[in-house]
Amino acid sequence: MNVNDFKNKYIPSEFLEFNPRLYAFIIMLIVGLSAFLIFPVKEISGYIDPFYSPTIFILPFVGLYRLTCYAYRKDYNRHIFKHPIGCDLKNRLDSMKRTYTGETSGLFKIENLHRYFLYVSILIVPFFYYDFYTSLFINNIFVFRLGSVLLLVNAIFITLYVLSCHSLRSLIGGRKDCYSCMSYGAGIKNLYDKQSWLNKHHEQLAWISLVFIIFVDLYLRGLTAGMPLDITFLKL
Amino acid sequence: MTNKKVKFKIYRKDPKISNDYRYDEFDVPMEEGMVVLDGVNYIVEHYDSTISVRWNCKAARCGSCAAEINGYPKLMCKTRVEQMGDVITVNPMKAFPLVKDLVTDVSINFEIDKKIPEFTPKNMGKKPWTIYDIDVNRAQEFRKCIECFLCQDTCHVVRDHNTKYIGPRHVIKAAALDMHPMDVLDRSESLTKDMGLGYCNVTKCCEEVCPEHIKITDNAIIPEKERAADNMYDPIMMLIKKLKNKSNRDKK
Ligand code: SF4
Ligand code: SF4
Repeated sequence: MNVNDFKNKYIPSEFLEFNPRLYAFIIMLIVGLSAFLIFPVKEISGYIDPFYSPTIFILPFVGLYRLTCYAYRKDYNRHIFKHPIGCDLKNRLDSMKRTYTGETSGLFKIENLHRYFLYVSILIVPFFYYDFYTSLFINNIFVFRLGSVLLLVNAIFITLYVLSCHSLRSLIGGRKDCYSCMSYGAGIKNLYDKQSWLNKHHEQLAWISLVFIIFVDLYLRGLTAGMPLDITFLKL
Repeated sequence: MTNKKVKFKIYRKDPKISNDYRYDEFDVPMEEGMVVLDGVNYIVEHYDSTISVRWNCKAARCGSCAAEINGYPKLMCKTRVEQMGDVITVNPMKAFPLVKDLVTDVSINFEIDKKIPEFTPKNMGKKPWTIYDIDVNRAQEFRKCIECFLCQDTCHVVRDHNTKYIGPRHVIKAAALDMHPMDVLDRSESLTKDMGLGYCNVTKCCEEVCPEHIKITDNAIIPEKERAADNMYDPIMMLIKKLKNKSNRDKK
């Protein structure tokens, strides 16, 4: 296979076009990841940084969960790759001149495996609640602090984000055609409808949970730097 | 009635005569509650009866008056003039061949429709079939489609790229059949292999312009992509399906 064949087969044309938005995104990613590795804040006064929970090595899977998420797909296909940037027909920045293979070839085929990253994400969710729980005790003394509230809210947002996933929607009932023909069909349809309601908010939850986890990370970095950001509500 | 006037710019082209196009401008008196189709009809009646425009029900039910209004795919009969500013530019849908002025030939959609494997019921035996609400209420959403083809017009894959993707309107048709409790087929694999489903990058313009507010991407395209993943990409699911089919065959 020569270089051109390799390029055509594995590298979607989006990565080969001149695209400052893509370069900015890649730079942000590199800066962010280097910050995690060069300045780790695994733990500070009983709080575990959610990015390091249970281990920083899980980050690539969580990253892939977000990268293959249908909500973010919409956002980066629009705002990074401009395929198209919006539905207003004058300012879409997509055109016949641009090569386009969508999710049919190369790297983008990985979108089809979103469910596997979902499975990993589901396994990780309990760790966030465990971190909240352990943050409530310092030397066996119960303390209730602002940092714990943030960890709990973070855990809840991530849970809602993961549970509103489109792949989960298919898994718990979307792929079924006849509920009345199955045992527990009514219950399954009920669960599917409830999850579908949550799924309507998947995009908001994706962004809220991302912004919040970054906020918690920055908060814990602030504490590590000695900033007086924590408040103790209760100590027993 | 106010004295306010709105400027309409109407796209004019007759491909049978020439490939040139132009915009004709008209001042139309504004009336309360007026929609863009009222403005166009006013122009046809009072200024220029040679403008071609297609419409039928004027109630957003027939889907005939689809156009691009100020660069956005919309039904002329459902778009309020007062919400569109002082200058309203009306273009035909660009994704389809032009017949004349604002009229396009959307017949390609009826050809595409034929590619979708038709309803194939389990047993033609006992009729009438009893069908339960919990089994059909998902697909009922898709029945709201009025075939205006605005979603096809806005889809960047259909409009800008020469692929085999059949487009959002047709995926909802396939999804409605796939989700039917009596239907035995699974169209997701042929949608992916032969009808280009993988070209859709879930950017949701179709959902954004649909006058019936059908959640095309969330409720039809993504479920079909997930079913296709079950059949073609997910090794565990493929194995489970294989074993299930085998045990079903053995039972028989
Ligand atoms: S979501 Fe898919 S079908 Fe809908 S407009 Fe975008 S690319 Fe086309
Ligand atoms: S799905 Fe919506 S936009 Fe597309 S043809 Fe039907 S009614 Fe029109």
